[in-house]
Amino acid sequence: MPKINQTIQETPSFRVLSEDQIERIYSAALDVIQRTGARFYHEEALELFRNSDAVVTDENLVRVPLSLAERAIKTHPRKVNLTGRTGEYGIKLDKDTVNFGTGSDLPFTYDRETGERRRTKYKDVYDAGRIVNYLPNMDFFMSHGIVQDCPNTQTYDRHQCLAMLEGCTKPMVLTSVDGEGLEDLWKMCSLFRGDEKEYRLNPMFITYIEPISPLMNDRSAVEKLLFSAEKGIPCMYTPCPSSGATAPASLAGMLVQSLAETLMASVLTYLKNPGMPLVMGGVTTVLDMITTTYSYGSPELSLASAANTDVSKWLGLPMFSTGGCTDSKALDEQAAIEAATSLYYAYLSGANLVHDVGYLDSGVNASLESLVMNNEIIGMVKQIGKGINTEEEYLALELIDEIGPGGEFLTSEHTLKHYKEWFQPKLQDRSDYATWVREGQLTMNDRIRTETDRILNEHEPAPIDEKLHQELKKIVQDADERHAK
Amino acid sequence: MSEKLGKVADGLLAGNVEEVSKLTQEMLDEGVDPEEILQQGLFAGMEVVSKKFKDCEMFIPEVLRSAKAMQGAMEKLRPMLASGSSSRAGTVVTATVQGDLHDIGKNLAGMMMEGSGFKVIDMGIDQKTEDIVNAVKEHNPQILGLSALLTTTMPKMGEVINALKEAGIRDQVKVMIGGAPVTDDFADEIGADAYAPNASIGTEKALELIKS
Repeated sequence: MPKINQTIQETPSFRVLSEDQIERIYSAALDVIQRTGARFYHEEALELFRNSDAVVTDENLVRVPLSLAERAIKTHPRKVNLTGRTGEYGIKLDKDTVNFGTGSDLPFTYDRETGERRRTKYKDVYDAGRIVNYLPNMDFFMSHGIVQDCPNTQTYDRHQCLAMLEGCTKPMVLTSVDGEGLEDLWKMCSLFRGDEKEYRLNPMFITYIEPISPLMNDRSAVEKLLFSAEKGIPCMYTPCPSSGATAPASLAGMLVQSLAETLMASVLTYLKNPGMPLVMGGVTTVLDMITTTYSYGSPELSLASAANTDVSKWLGLPMFSTGGCTDSKALDEQAAIEAATSLYYAYLSGANLVHDVGYLDSGVNASLESLVMNNEIIGMVKQIGKGINTEEEYLALELIDEIGPGGEFLTSEHTLKHYKEWFQPKLQDRSDYATWVREGQLTMNDRIRTETDRILNEHEPAPIDEKLHQELKKIVQDADERHAK
Repeated sequence: MSEKLGKVADGLLAGNVEEVSKLTQEMLDEGVDPEEILQQGLFAGMEVVSKKFKDCEMFIPEVLRSAKAMQGAMEKLRPMLASGSSSRAGTVVTATVQGDLHDIGKNLAGMMMEGSGFKVIDMGIDQKTEDIVNAVKEHNPQILGLSALLTTTMPKMGEVINALKEAGIRDQVKVMIGGAPVTDDFADEIGADAYAPNASIGTEKALELIKS
C-alpha cells in the first residue's frame, strides 16, 4: 500500500540563514542606501538619480529612498538562460540550479613548458577555452586569464572575447574595459544570432561588472550598467569586498554592504530602463590579517557566499558565487583542500554560477591543470548532491532476501543496473599498492598533467564560420584603430 | 625619565593612542631631547611591534593601531626634530593613478609607513598624472608611492615617471609602485625605484630607499 503523510528529501538540503535573518540583512541594506548612500563617478547616472526621488549631494553621493529600491528590485527577471555560440551548450540560472565555470582576467599564467610564471597571452585564454569546452563539469567560461599581448590595454576585452569564442562553445561571462568595450562584445556575440532582437532572446554571455567596495561606482562600471540596461544584456553587479578592510569584519555586515551596492545598481538600471536581468553575488571573503591577501581559500568565503545565496533566493535574483579557488601558489595539497571545500558549499547552497574554478594565488595566477583537477572535484560534489533514493527498488528488500545470509551481490542484475549511478573517478587513484608501483608511482599531479596534455593535443572546438570569423576580427581591428595613438 | 620612554614603547605595543601622545607631549614639556624620545621610545616600541608581527604574534589590525599611536606622537615630535636629525622619518606622497578607484593597498601601505615614522601625504584615488607631478613639486617628498590594481590602469604609473622626467624632478624623488598586477620586472621596465608586493615590504623598502 502506498504510504500517506510522506515527505521525501530528494536531495540533501543546506542553508546558512533563516528567513528572519535574511530579512534582517535585506532591511539593513535598505537602510544603508537611504542613510549612507553610494558614490557614482558618472554624470548621466547622477542626472538619472537627480530626476528621481533619490538625493544627490556632495557632488556624487547618492542616497535612495527605500521605496524606490523596493520598486526597482522587483523588476528584474527571476531567471536567465544562456546558450553557447553553437547552441550545443546552454545553462539556466533559476533557483537552485548550479553551474560551474572559470573566473576571469588573471594577470599571470604558469607557462606549461618552462613552469615559470609570465603574463597571460591570447593563446592562454584560447587554451583555457578548449579545456573548459572539453571538461564535462564545466558549464560556463570566463576568460581565466587576461590577454596582455594585444596592441592596447584599452582593447584587451575584444581580443579576449575572440580568443574565448574561438576556444569554447559554452556560455560565457565577459569582462570589458568600459561601455564602448561592452558594446563591441555585444556586437560580436550578436553576429552569431543574426540581429539584436534575436540575440536578446538567446544571449550568450552575462557581463561582469564590479562596484568598488565600500559603496563606490566608477565611470567604466556605470557605463557598462547603463548600456546593459539599455540593451537588456544580462548583467552581474558583484562586489568584491574584503571583510575587515573594505567591508565590516563581521560577515553579516559585509553581506549588508554588498547587498546595498547591488541595490544601488538595481535602482540605477531601473531608472534607465526597467527589467534588465540582474545577477547578484560576488566574492565575499576576508583580508588575511598577516599577509593582507584577499583570501580565495578561506572558509569565510564559503560561509559568506552560501549565506549570500540564501539572500539571493529570497530576493528571486540569480546568484554568482565562488568556488574551486585557492591562495596556494602551486597546484598542491593546499590548492586541493581549499578548492574542494568551497566547491562543496557553493554547490550545496544552490548558487547559479560558481565561478573562479581553477584560480591559484588568490586570483593572480592561472593554471590549466587546476581546471582539470577541479573538474574531478566537481564530479564528486555533484554526486553528493544526488541524495538517497528510498523507493522500493532502492530499499532492495527482494534482493536482500534472494541473496540471503552469506551470499554475494556482485553478479546480480540489481548491481549491474545501479553501480552506474555511482561516481567513477577519472584521475583519482584507487589501485592497490603493488599495481600503483608497477604503473610508475604516479601522483595526482602527474595524472593531471598527462590529462591536460591529452586534452590540449586532442580537443578542437567546433570552428567558427569563416565569414563570421572575419566580421568578428573586423570589430576587434576597428577597436584597435580607434584606440591607436 | 627612562621610565616614561619605556611607557611610550609599551603604549605603542598596546596601541594606546592617547597615552602615547600624552607621554610624548609630557616629555617634550620636560625638556627631553626629541631625538631621544624618537629613538629610545617610539622606534624602540615599533621595533617590538615589527618583530611580533613577523612572528605572527600581532596581526594587521593591532599593528595599524600601533601605527596610529606612532603617527600621533610623530605629529608632536616632528616640528621639534632638528633638520639634520638622524631620524629615519621622511615624507611620502601616495596616490592611486588616474582611472583607478581602488585604494585599500595604498592606504594600508601609507598607514604602515606612518608607523615607521614617515609623514604620509595621501592624494587619494583617480589622480591625474600632472596633479601627481605637482604634488611632488609642492611637498618635495623623498618617496612617491603609486598604486594601480588594474592591468588597464597600470601603464599610467609609467606615464607619471615620464612626466617627472619631463618636469626635471625625477632625481629628487624615489618612486615605489604596487598593486596586484605589478612585478619587479614591470618596475624596471617603467624605471621605478622599487616594487612592493605588500605594505610591510613596502615600508622596509621605503626605509632602504631613504638611506640610499
